[in-house]
Amino acid sequence: MASSSAARGGPRSLPRLFTRGTLALVLGVYTIYQLGPFLWLATMSLRTTAEISAAPYAWPKPMHFEQFRTAWVDSDFATYFWNSALVVVSAVAVVTLIGAAAAHALARYRFRGNRIIYGILFSSIIFPPQITLISLYQILVDYNLYNSLFGLSLVYISLQLPLTVYLLEGFFARIPQDLFDAAKMDGYGDLEIFWRIVLPVGMPAIATTLILNFIQLWNEFLFAVVLITDPDKRTLPIGIRAFMGDHFQDIGMIATGVMISVIPVIIVYVFFSEKLIRGMTAGAIK
Amino acid sequence: MAVVKLDTIVKRYGHAGPVVVENVDLTIADGEFMVLLGPSGCGKSTTLRMIAGLETISSGTLSIDGRVVNDVPAKDRDIAMVFQSYALYPHMSVADNLAFGLRRRAIPATEVQRRVGEVAAILGLAPLLARKPSALSGGQRQRVALGRAMVREPQVFLFDEPLSNLDAALRVNTRSEIIKQHHRLGSTMIYVTHDQVARLSAAERRARSGALDAPLGRWSDGTLLAYDGRDVTLGVRAEDMVIDPAVLGAAPYGSVTGRTIAVEPLGAETLLLLELEGGGEITARLPRHVSAAPEQIVTLHFRPEAVYLFDSTTGDAVSTQESDAAVVRAAVQRRTH
Repeated sequence: MASSSAARGGPRSLPRLFTRGTLALVLGVYTIYQLGPFLWLATMSLRTTAEISAAPYAWPKPMHFEQFRTAWVDSDFATYFWNSALVVVSAVAVVTLIGAAAAHALARYRFRGNRIIYGILFSSIIFPPQITLISLYQILVDYNLYNSLFGLSLVYISLQLPLTVYLLEGFFARIPQDLFDAAKMDGYGDLEIFWRIVLPVGMPAIATTLILNFIQLWNEFLFAVVLITDPDKRTLPIGIRAFMGDHFQDIGMIATGVMISVIPVIIVYVFFSEKLIRGMTAGAIK
Repeated sequence: MAVVKLDTIVKRYGHAGPVVVENVDLTIADGEFMVLLGPSGCGKSTTLRMIAGLETISSGTLSIDGRVVNDVPAKDRDIAMVFQSYALYPHMSVADNLAFGLRRRAIPATEVQRRVGEVAAILGLAPLLARKPSALSGGQRQRVALGRAMVREPQVFLFDEPLSNLDAALRVNTRSEIIKQHHRLGSTMIYVTHDQVARLSAAERRARSGALDAPLGRWSDGTLLAYDGRDVTLGVRAEDMVIDPAVLGAAPYGSVTGRTIAVEPLGAETLLLLELEGGGEITARLPRHVSAAPEQIVTLHFRPEAVYLFDSTTGDAVSTQESDAAVVRAAVQRRTH
């Protein structure tokens, strides 16, 4: 349609050009608005704190790639990174698995109390998670899980599970019952149907929750800073925080650390984004 | 190969809940093609799902080849089912959809491949094996669904309204495909539909949930006559009626007269729905050149031996003794002339 009206060169082509131009302009401004701070951060990560103080917006010259080596090795970002990876990946894996299984059970099986359980889960989404902080702290101390990555991972699981169940339940409930009946007729039991039908068919929704949970937990600061004290158990957000003193802030090193912590998020996003979009525009099953 | 026997089967939701299927007695012989016909919500699909093992049976016994299977899970009943929605696994290719049921049964991979290839060839699915269901047309999806049932070589096939999502031309095609496969495999098949044409063209025998029931052309303006001490209703198959009595030759014939409610030209034939003078409706299956205007009065003729008797209270078919046939014939003629 666009090409035909352009070829005609009729009176409609000018407004069309205007519409397209406006759209391009808006998208351009929006991209700069979104990407600008990131690019600024990227340039700062290649400069020393002294250089940044002298000229905050200057182009890095020379580019101090060794900043990444310094951060990774000398400033313990390697430790923080692997701590974060361990806690977040294990928490996301457990949340995805348990969340999917729970969502499947709530969406598919009729049993007494189904909607009550669902209601309780849903109500826990309404409250801000901060209100549980003190009691979680006490519980972790009681069970010797305070200041441990395992304890933090458990807390992360409990934080993300309700929303995950809620999102997946909505998607799973729309998978046609006939699919389950067909698999039963084909000889499969409940557990196999979950593995071979629910998980693959629900993949767009699962990928969505996976990304959301990963990004949320990767950036999580509050619970980590309260529940972890040992420097060698810090996750990335707390590790970065350590470079912010009361009187001196090592901006260069902070920028480098933030860049290190952003990279996995970008990778996860690029890898799953297609599925994320499919999950968000769900209705994919027919 | 299997005899499926339903003995006073009841389906009730909850202890005091509504009864959706009440006392179904039905024996489906080995290799028989049985059609369960009824309007939406009459319980025919529920009956089918109970046979499949997808619904629990509230009371009564269901047996396959003499073995009671009430508590046998669906996966162990060796039954395949074709669903109205096809229920193809959207994330698997056609080949995987066909093989899915076989892989569960510890059948060697080469055998799985052989059977999938064979069924794909029979149903013309061979060029589509690598495709996902989303890349198939409605008719192709239906054939995959049929193939998925066939490839398992089950004792019993169940069809739940398998044609209702297809257009008219495909419906005729697929229907003849199912009948063809029934002749080829000789398996017991149970087919649920509300589509009268499907029932007429496919069935060896028809049933309504409840009891074996009259064929389509049954009419009942109260009790027509008494036979064997019972009040009976007459029934004539839709295809046994004609408009021109000369077609029936010199034999004495019966007839009914009614007002045309609907004319349904189906291409090869025309279905005529009449409201009878004495009440009740009847459908006739006539050659395609026959046409009638709505509200037109039409008289249909049939041979007396085309008449079946049904108990007016229970709806059961009444079998007539050879010696009584003449009596029935006379009564029919008296009634219908």
